Amino acid sequence: MNEIIVSMNHISKSFPGVKALDDVHFELRSGEVMALLGENGAGKSTLMKILSGVYTRDDGTMEIFGKEYGDLTPKQAQEVGVAIIHQELNMCRHLSVAENMFLGRELAGKFTLDNRKMRQEAKRILDDLKIDINPDQTVGDLPVSKQQMVEIAKALSINAKILIMDEPTSALTAKEIEDLFRIIRKLKAEGRGIVYISHRLEELAEIVDRVTIMRDGQYITNGNFADMTMDQIITNMVGREIKEKFPRVSCEKGKKVFEVKHLNAGKMVRDINFSLYEGEIVGFAGLMGAGRTETTRAIFGADPKDRGEIWLDGQEIKINCPMDAIKHGVVLAPEDRKKDGLCTKLSIRQNLALPNLDMICNGLGVISSTKEDKLCEEAVQNLRIKTPNVEIDSGNLSGGNQQKVVVGKWLARNSRVVIFDEPTRGIDVGAKVEIYNLMNELKKQGIAVMFVSSEMPEVMGIADRIIVMCDGRITGEVMAQDTTQNEILTMATSFENKKIVS
Amino acid sequence: MNNKQQSPVKKLLAIRGMGAALTAFVGLVIIYIAFGLINSAVFSGQNILNLLRSMSKYLLIGIAQSYVLITGNIDLSIGSMVGMSAMISATLMTTGMNPLLAILISLLCCLVIGVVNGYLVGKFKLPPFIATLGTMFVARGIAYMVNGNRNTDAIATGIGKEAADKFQNFFYYGKTLGVYNTFWIAMIVFIIFFFVLSKTRTGRHIYAIGSNVDAAKLSGVDVVATTIKTYLISATCSCLVGLILCAQAGMGNMEAGNMYEMYGVAAGVIGGVSPLGGTGILLGTLAGAAVWQTLENGLNMIGAQVGIQRVVIGVIVVVAVLLDVVVRNGKFGKRK
Repeated sequence: MNEIIVSMNHISKSFPGVKALDDVHFELRSGEVMALLGENGAGKSTLMKILSGVYTRDDGTMEIFGKEYGDLTPKQAQEVGVAIIHQELNMCRHLSVAENMFLGRELAGKFTLDNRKMRQEAKRILDDLKIDINPDQTVGDLPVSKQQMVEIAKALSINAKILIMDEPTSALTAKEIEDLFRIIRKLKAEGRGIVYISHRLEELAEIVDRVTIMRDGQYITNGNFADMTMDQIITNMVGREIKEKFPRVSCEKGKKVFEVKHLNAGKMVRDINFSLYEGEIVGFAGLMGAGRTETTRAIFGADPKDRGEIWLDGQEIKINCPMDAIKHGVVLAPEDRKKDGLCTKLSIRQNLALPNLDMICNGLGVISSTKEDKLCEEAVQNLRIKTPNVEIDSGNLSGGNQQKVVVGKWLARNSRVVIFDEPTRGIDVGAKVEIYNLMNELKKQGIAVMFVSSEMPEVMGIADRIIVMCDGRITGEVMAQDTTQNEILTMATSFENKKIVS
Repeated sequence: MNNKQQSPVKKLLAIRGMGAALTAFVGLVIIYIAFGLINSAVFSGQNILNLLRSMSKYLLIGIAQSYVLITGNIDLSIGSMVGMSAMISATLMTTGMNPLLAILISLLCCLVIGVVNGYLVGKFKLPPFIATLGTMFVARGIAYMVNGNRNTDAIATGIGKEAADKFQNFFYYGKTLGVYNTFWIAMIVFIIFFFVLSKTRTGRHIYAIGSNVDAAKLSGVDVVATTIKTYLISATCSCLVGLILCAQAGMGNMEAGNMYEMYGVAAGVIGGVSPLGGTGILLGTLAGAAVWQTLENGLNMIGAQVGIQRVVIGVIVVVAVLLDVVVRNGKFGKRK
């Protein structure tokens, strides 16, 4: 017990345009639960994907059970005893529990698969974990929590000595989390090493022995969980003093433009109430999966609402589909540019024109190229989209310029409310400032701006008022001037039925 | 599906895909009886024998396409491989070549197409629609070329007459135990591939790839090799059907097997094989092929024109898939 079983040193990894990991150290001992902490994008998942053979590293060394390994494939990593339970569960939903557990290493007799033996073995492992799942059940029919248990059981069926759990509790209820912790304690007692990645800081105290903290792809520190206060951990995660270049313009706060009352949509949007005023930017802070994107989609009519009212300029409006929202001047620049924001295989011109075709077509539906040219020219100039011409595929632009095209789609219309969902994700600092300036410009024009971001510094630097969400609910509202990151983070992790540790 | 009580019926229904397959069988019985009530000749012994024989072709094609569909891919080159196999074997036999050798060469040629399909789709990640569209044209072109852009003469003339007669009897005209050989051939193939798909590692991997190719890869499944295997199986079955068509006509027809890849999709889909991959069993394909042939046969027997036959068959295919989609959405909630 307590020998070092994994030791990763000087690990570096780059993706095109991003240095995901820079000289990172990581160590895991047998019989411990190691929490790997950091903000979104700190490189935790990337590091663990290297350990489990999904990615290969650019530089550095990796020792598992005292033996040095070069590049591992997922299969080799499994054979060494490393198993990863991915954040997005990775199962064949059409196959049964037992079939999934033995996928890729089926037990077979002379000619046929030995289904009986696999089923028995699966049953034994599930029973051992005191999980009540029928091995013959089709995985797609199981709830997410049970699917996760199956993933754990699968890891144990290959006798994994090192288990990596990436945000295992993000989709679980309190009761299910209890079950999971019971299993983790059992695995720990058996001498297995467990890496636990989670954003829910309050649950660490229940099971964690040590923590490793990462930030911006770099190793920051590690230590015994018992020796650290929650404040220290958060400070280490967030790091830098926040005085970056966030251009702020002050405006007179005007009249109420937009109001959402009792909005409910599925599990991740529960009783949302808020208002947007002229001359202010309202930031929406929270952790990944807090329900902010779902809220924007429900407002915009991209997902169905269960109930709730939406008011614009003192009148209730009905939004059942994005077309309704656009007609009323409520527009959305979605989170995933490439998936939801742009038709990446179409030109800049075609993208800019798409939501405005009603304005540039004549009665017969023929597109007027003069009007289209004018629209494109204005967008390119106003937003300073850097491109030789508008015939280029939008997918070939840099992230920042893509984001400008997404925004440009809406500026030709007289929008009243502009919703930005993570507008600066994955774009460089210079482009970020341009996006901030754009939001400020809208704010000056009296357009209500809703600004969803997971990056705390920019929310605090750009927004006037900050609404914090957690678990599909609004858990707090503060003015940007008189708050601290820790206060926001506390509100962002105030899950139901659980007390905040520290 | 809960199978805690292990009564035989429940156990049977607990097999994935069995529900859709049994539904197709029920449909089959209804269709058959309905036609029989209109024209009792449908029930005659000779008609049943004919039905079983002509169904066999569609069954073999259905097996070919089902294997590929279950991995979430498609094989558009099936019909062309059928034509190629018919033309190559017929051309070789008219030169007096031993049928056995002619069969072997046809099979080899089809397998080459299968390997190419498998590599293009599995290894080079070409969209299967495009990759097999290409080989579809190539294989049909070869079918034209082997006898200089002409159909062949009758195979049972001159030097190879005796051997060619045997060939025709073996694949089409002969009977064993009172049933046409074609049916027995299809049955043997069916049993082998039913076994492979439901009982072996390869079969399991085929389902896994169709269900979630990333999960399969991360679990150590050799996706490339498995994909190639499915296209090889498809090629083998297509070759067999080409031989059957050659035996039936007693000559090689350049257009033999035209559109058969689509008949294969239809047979699979009616029986519950999802073109999205991951689901379906060959028992369903068997039912689908039988439904298809019963419809064709029944519509013929009651004197329906070719046009109306096509319309009815088209509607049946769409309705079968529509049912599948509705059931899925009900069961799994909204699909992304």
